[in-house]
Amino acid sequence: MDLASQLPMLLGLAWLAPLVSFVAILFFGPRMGHHGKNAAWVATAAIVTSLGLSLAAFGTWLTAHPVTAVSHDSHGAAVDGHAADSHDAQEHESHEHEANAGHGDHADHGGQHAAVVPAAYSGDWYTLYQGGSLRLSIGWYIDALTVMMFVVVTFIATCIHVYASGYMHDELHDVTDHEVHLSDGGHLHRPGRFPRFFQALSLFCFSMLGILIAGNLAMVFIFWELVGICSWFLIGFYFERKSASTAANKAFIVNRVGDFGMLIGLMALWGALGTLHFADTPAAGPAGQTAPGLFSLVRPAESGHALQVPDGMVKFANASEVSRIAVENASRPGDGANEIASRIRDWRSQGYGRWLLFIAGVGIFCGCVGKSAQFPLFVWLPDAMEGPTPVSALVHSATMVAAGVYLVGRFYPVLTPDVLLVIAVIGGITLFIAATIALVANDIKRVLAYSTVSQLGYMMLALGVGGWSAGLFHLVTHAFFKSLLFLCSGSVIHACHTNDMRKMGGLARVMPWTAGTMLVGCLAIIGAGIPFVIGLSGYYSKDAILAQALSYSQANPSWSILFYAVAGGAFLTAFYMFRLWFMTFAGTPRDHHIADHAHESPNVMVVPLVALSVLAIVAGWTLPGGFGLANLLEQARPAGTAATMSDSFLFGNLTVPAEHLSHEGAIHVTATLTAFTTAAAGVLLAAMMYLWRIISPEMVASVFRPIYSFLANRWYFDELYNAIFVRPVFAVASLASGTDRGVIDRLIDGIAWSARQLAGFDAWIDRNLVDGLVNATATATWNAGLELKKLQTGRLRQYVMFIVIGTVALFVLASMLFRAALAG
Amino acid sequence: MIMSLLASALPMSGLLAALPVAAVNWHSVLFLLFAAVACACAVAVVLADNVVRMAFYLVLSLAATAGLFFLAGAEFVGAMQLMIYVGGTLVLLVFGVMLTAQAPFVAIKTSTGDRVLAGMVGAALLAVLLQAAFRVEPWRRPAMAAVAAPAATPIGMALLGVRVDEPVAGAPPAAVRSGYLLPFEIVSVHLLVVLVGAAYLARAKRRRTPRAIDVAASSVGPVVTAREAARSSASALVSGGQ
Amino acid sequence: MNLLSAGLPSTAIPLFAGLLDAPVGVAHYLVVGAILFTSGVVCMALKRNALGVLMGIELVLNGANVNFVAFSSPYLRGEGAASLGLDGQLIALFVILLAAAEAAVALAITLNFYNNHATVDIDQADDLKG
Repeated sequence: MDLASQLPMLLGLAWLAPLVSFVAILFFGPRMGHHGKNAAWVATAAIVTSLGLSLAAFGTWLTAHPVTAVSHDSHGAAVDGHAADSHDAQEHESHEHEANAGHGDHADHGGQHAAVVPAAYSGDWYTLYQGGSLRLSIGWYIDALTVMMFVVVTFIATCIHVYASGYMHDELHDVTDHEVHLSDGGHLHRPGRFPRFFQALSLFCFSMLGILIAGNLAMVFIFWELVGICSWFLIGFYFERKSASTAANKAFIVNRVGDFGMLIGLMALWGALGTLHFADTPAAGPAGQTAPGLFSLVRPAESGHALQVPDGMVKFANASEVSRIAVENASRPGDGANEIASRIRDWRSQGYGRWLLFIAGVGIFCGCVGKSAQFPLFVWLPDAMEGPTPVSALVHSATMVAAGVYLVGRFYPVLTPDVLLVIAVIGGITLFIAATIALVANDIKRVLAYSTVSQLGYMMLALGVGGWSAGLFHLVTHAFFKSLLFLCSGSVIHACHTNDMRKMGGLARVMPWTAGTMLVGCLAIIGAGIPFVIGLSGYYSKDAILAQALSYSQANPSWSILFYAVAGGAFLTAFYMFRLWFMTFAGTPRDHHIADHAHESPNVMVVPLVALSVLAIVAGWTLPGGFGLANLLEQARPAGTAATMSDSFLFGNLTVPAEHLSHEGAIHVTATLTAFTTAAAGVLLAAMMYLWRIISPEMVASVFRPIYSFLANRWYFDELYNAIFVRPVFAVASLASGTDRGVIDRLIDGIAWSARQLAGFDAWIDRNLVDGLVNATATATWNAGLELKKLQTGRLRQYVMFIVIGTVALFVLASMLFRAALAG
Repeated sequence: MIMSLLASALPMSGLLAALPVAAVNWHSVLFLLFAAVACACAVAVVLADNVVRMAFYLVLSLAATAGLFFLAGAEFVGAMQLMIYVGGTLVLLVFGVMLTAQAPFVAIKTSTGDRVLAGMVGAALLAVLLQAAFRVEPWRRPAMAAVAAPAATPIGMALLGVRVDEPVAGAPPAAVRSGYLLPFEIVSVHLLVVLVGAAYLARAKRRRTPRAIDVAASSVGPVVTAREAARSSASALVSGGQ
Repeated sequence: MNLLSAGLPSTAIPLFAGLLDAPVGVAHYLVVGAILFTSGVVCMALKRNALGVLMGIELVLNGANVNFVAFSSPYLRGEGAASLGLDGQLIALFVILLAAAEAAVALAITLNFYNNHATVDIDQADDLKG
């Protein structure tokens, strides 16, 4: 079997395995072992199967597209194998041109690398609807990024499934929830929900893998929403707690706000271009020709894969002119089409369609703003910590929130420099706000949550300044160390039964494994390492981001704030992460009761920690043969994105420098040194305040009281949104309900009341008049009968009298009649 | 013939000299006589209070009626009237009178209002009948020239089913005149049934409780209590059998 | 009432005066019959004695008999007048027979009534009152 059908099969099965587990646990969960204990193993087995299949796919990919080193110090191109255009497979039939793998075909520098098309396979499993050029289908788009993300997601999910099978053991028996206060003052007693947790986790894994493998934006949207639902369920797992259910609703609603923008973007694309597929689909066009996908529409091969407004959008924007020409040539449609085609270039240069492309890009990005908790839609992520810690680790640090970054990375070829600037600025704002809030947070999971938001801002900023591979590199490394950090915090919470860091301290003695792995995670996130030599995974990715940001700010001096934001963010990240570590593990215990009862977690929880910490260390390394994450990503770099982009539309002249330029000497060195110094400074300050107690945090807080309270209240965002959105909506809702009750219900009740009155009146008439008439008739008849009865006296003489009188009367009558007849 | 006999038997020539005796229609005179007796006695039956007297007046009335029958030429019927009606039926009635003529029942008076009402009703009925009698022209003109044949034999033959009498004038010539055999037989059976029925009705009944009449006779109470005693014994009789 | 006056033409047969020499017709017999009938009816309606009622019945039947005989009489026919002939006499005969039968049964009933109620006052026989 060739690669084009092998990869979809492997990854498709990997995608569907968690769905099988979901269905199995859905129907048989409570019967799987005592209280459903084995549901964890079913789910874990499914995700391990997915991991295995993903690794198999990875291996298959590597055999076909071995990862080679990308030379950084020359202007040379990224020398990946020339992969052919992807040929899509309908119904598992495919053919693809085998790439020349790994020959040192050094393309010319300059424009040639723009002609490199990444190796990618796309196709459809099932077409839901096809009408003209409109096609809705379930399909795949597999490139190196997909394969890599599959391995990352399934690996982290496996670790977390194992961890959760230990962490969630409370749910194996009846639970007394101390955070739920019933109306009679007691606590809630409820049965355990162990299988349901793994059911939801399985569904989540299925949905997340669906986003990764999706071949068109419609499918992405479907699984986007599905992931949102799973997140809603998992956050609200302890739904009897008001805080948890509110947090779940908040997460879902805020995500929906972002999805609204995403729908606008989808509409712009579909309306103007008529397709949502990423890649071309052969034999799917109206006349059987290849239906172009988004990538080739926006970056056509003829123009060297440079970004240009696609024909469809140009025509859409200039619709009046197009229709005028069509009407002019109504009898000769061929001539009309030719004229339009010839005029498109002019229209494009006049700028038609640029707004549409901008809207499309920003729209899709809106969805990512919601899903990846960027400014202004980040308020749901800290509240999402209400869910169990494994959920925070899997969903809200490593995977779901990464889906937004992943989509930006996947959709990168369609994004113009203006859109990229918007992304970068939003990312920068986010990273700054979140980092500042994390400085003063006392809940260990909140610190990590804001850290996640901040790191996502990093990734968005990286993508926005042109660092496609830097951003996605950071996505992968961040997935490893953030999930590690969350699992460690879960371990700590499990031991201390509290989230409050002010009550912790000195736990390193009693929880050495947790402390050690958490230290690894902290070092990874700050990008610790020996400059220019070696470092943990975060070192490489942060380095790349800084370098690209520096390159961008040099190319666009008016936007150099972005570089300073990144550098400052690095400083803040180091500070708050080590603040966390020192407060939790170092020094003397602040609460002896907790410290006495703290203990190391069981092995089932420690082993995933160790596994993830190993990866957190090595994930950034590139092996001598060139095998490494960075080079793997380069295989997936979309066509045309390796070159510098320039544009001047909304925000003035913008230049998005090519990423490989940031690997050059000067920029690279500056970036590395900046990263090192800022991180070291942050660690030093944190140590001074929280380890050696040279500077007292309380004093600093009191000196900067207004700033401190501003940060401690999370920049008052929740209050702001409450005032701007929630209160007015409630006001409108109460107005509407008041109208409904007071006006509409009154009206209806009034109608009903008058109907009842009328009915009562009718009833009165019926009872008294109609029935009365009938009864009166009956009574009259009865009385007449009674009166007539008196005739029957039983007296013979009277009867005789009546006979006689009757006879006489009859005779008289008859004679009168006969007389009249005879006389007449 | 009778009239001539009667005419010749009148001794009071003096009285008769004032009358044009030869012009007297003795048929009419006798008719008036018998008619007057019959009517007067009939009215007397009505007016009398004493039931015994009523019976007597009735006998006289019916006897006069028989005379009328003879005058009309239906001598067989007249004879039967005297024999059966007067001699049988009225005798039976007289027996009944005798059986029930106890002191309080001999003369029961009706109220005046009833009498007035009955009188009015009777007068109305009489008026109707009378005017009907005089309406038909041919009924007012007799045919005195006719000579009647004795009717016994034709009647007997008719009862046997053979009609031997002359057809009357004015009847359709081919009219079939039926015999009266069937009615004769029916009436005989009817009389048998009546005989049996009357005998059954009037049989001596074995009584568990004394007859009301015996109770009434034994006690000296007024009629009212006797009546109630009669009622109670009657109801006991009806319900309990005898 | 115009019934009576209209029934009598101006050349009326004298009812009483002149009857001595004028022959009688059917009408005269009918008058007798009417009187008998009426008195019988009045007797039935008037008498409280059950036997009185029976007597009334006899009178009624006799009145009818007189009519029948009058219609059948050969002496009383006018020219062209229809007559019952022998049928009338036979009918009268049957009436007599049936009257006898009826009298017997009625008397039996009356005697039963007398025995049960100790009275022949038919006004006391109102048990069938409605």
